[in-house]
Amino acid sequence: MDATLKLWAVIAIVGVLNYASRLSFIAIFARRRVPALLERAFRYVPAAMLTALVVPMVAFVPDVAGSVDAPRILAAAIAAVVAFYTRSTLRTIVAGMAALWLLQWALGRIG
Amino acid sequence: MRRLAADADFRAGFAEMVPACIGLVPFGLVCGVGAAAAGASPLAALGLSAIVFSGAAQILAVQLLAAGAPLAVIVMTCFVAGLRFVIYSAAMAPYLRPLSPRFQRGVAFLLTDQAFAASVRRLSAGGNPRAAGLHFLGGGFALWSMWQVTNMAGYFAGNVIPAAWSLDFAVPLCFIALVAPHLRTAPTIGAALVAGYAVIALSALPMKLNLIVAGTIGIVSGTLADFARERWTRR
Repeated sequence: MDATLKLWAVIAIVGVLNYASRLSFIAIFARRRVPALLERAFRYVPAAMLTALVVPMVAFVPDVAGSVDAPRILAAAIAAVVAFYTRSTLRTIVAGMAALWLLQWALGRIG
Repeated sequence: MRRLAADADFRAGFAEMVPACIGLVPFGLVCGVGAAAAGASPLAALGLSAIVFSGAAQILAVQLLAAGAPLAVIVMTCFVAGLRFVIYSAAMAPYLRPLSPRFQRGVAFLLTDQAFAASVRRLSAGGNPRAAGLHFLGGGFALWSMWQVTNMAGYFAGNVIPAAWSLDFAVPLCFIALVAPHLRTAPTIGAALVAGYAVIALSALPMKLNLIVAGTIGIVSGTLADFARERWTRR
């Protein structure tokens, strides 16, 4: 298949499928009642899904399979404490980046 | 659109998303670089970021395209990576019921990890669903606009940020900023710990299935802990 055509096919099909995933239950529950059990389970979606998303980004250095990066893990823990108390995205990013740079510098990775 | 831009809730949602947008700049650049490396035309690169609008799916798509994978494999992999949107969709659905179908479709199009995490607390706090929905649309629109700009910047200018700065770390920090404030009850902390452990333990699964499986295990654990706590306190 022609490369240009293949890319546009990916854009169209993945675009439709991802949109269908995003709309799925919003559309389904627009007309039906949400079961009580599910409504209770939904409370744990942010904590569980976002932790599953973030842990691999923190624990593994990008492009280096299987290697664990101690400064990133420590900096992430510091950022989590800042986020917990401040609830501020900006402060969390600033604290986390500062902690990472400081730890990397301390371990002699920079300069 | 002009009426939306004048709405106070829409504008507040837009403004509150700006820090997360800044944090996601390195991710957008990487996605743009990936599209250029895969030989996409400028229009196709823009189509990818504007229509698919998911960093994880875009990275997978261009990597698999560059590796010459069959169309079915690319589509299937991106679809599986996007399955978490089904869970977000379900979690947001109860609060969006009073809104019109057109409104719901707008929310669905702009549904991403950041938009979900940033708005779910406000949505679940009750109040006016229309105001919370407009707040979501404002934040989602901020993310979408920033995403197109950074993808195009990455496509044309390449990765202008030196790797030694480790600015890619801003991406997990964005998520930490959104998830850590949720961890205030025992079942929620349990859900996060189980999901975090499971995603590493299951990292050998193909097509990044570990993400959706670990997330689901975490949700079930949190729910079970919730029931257990309820029985305990009733006694």
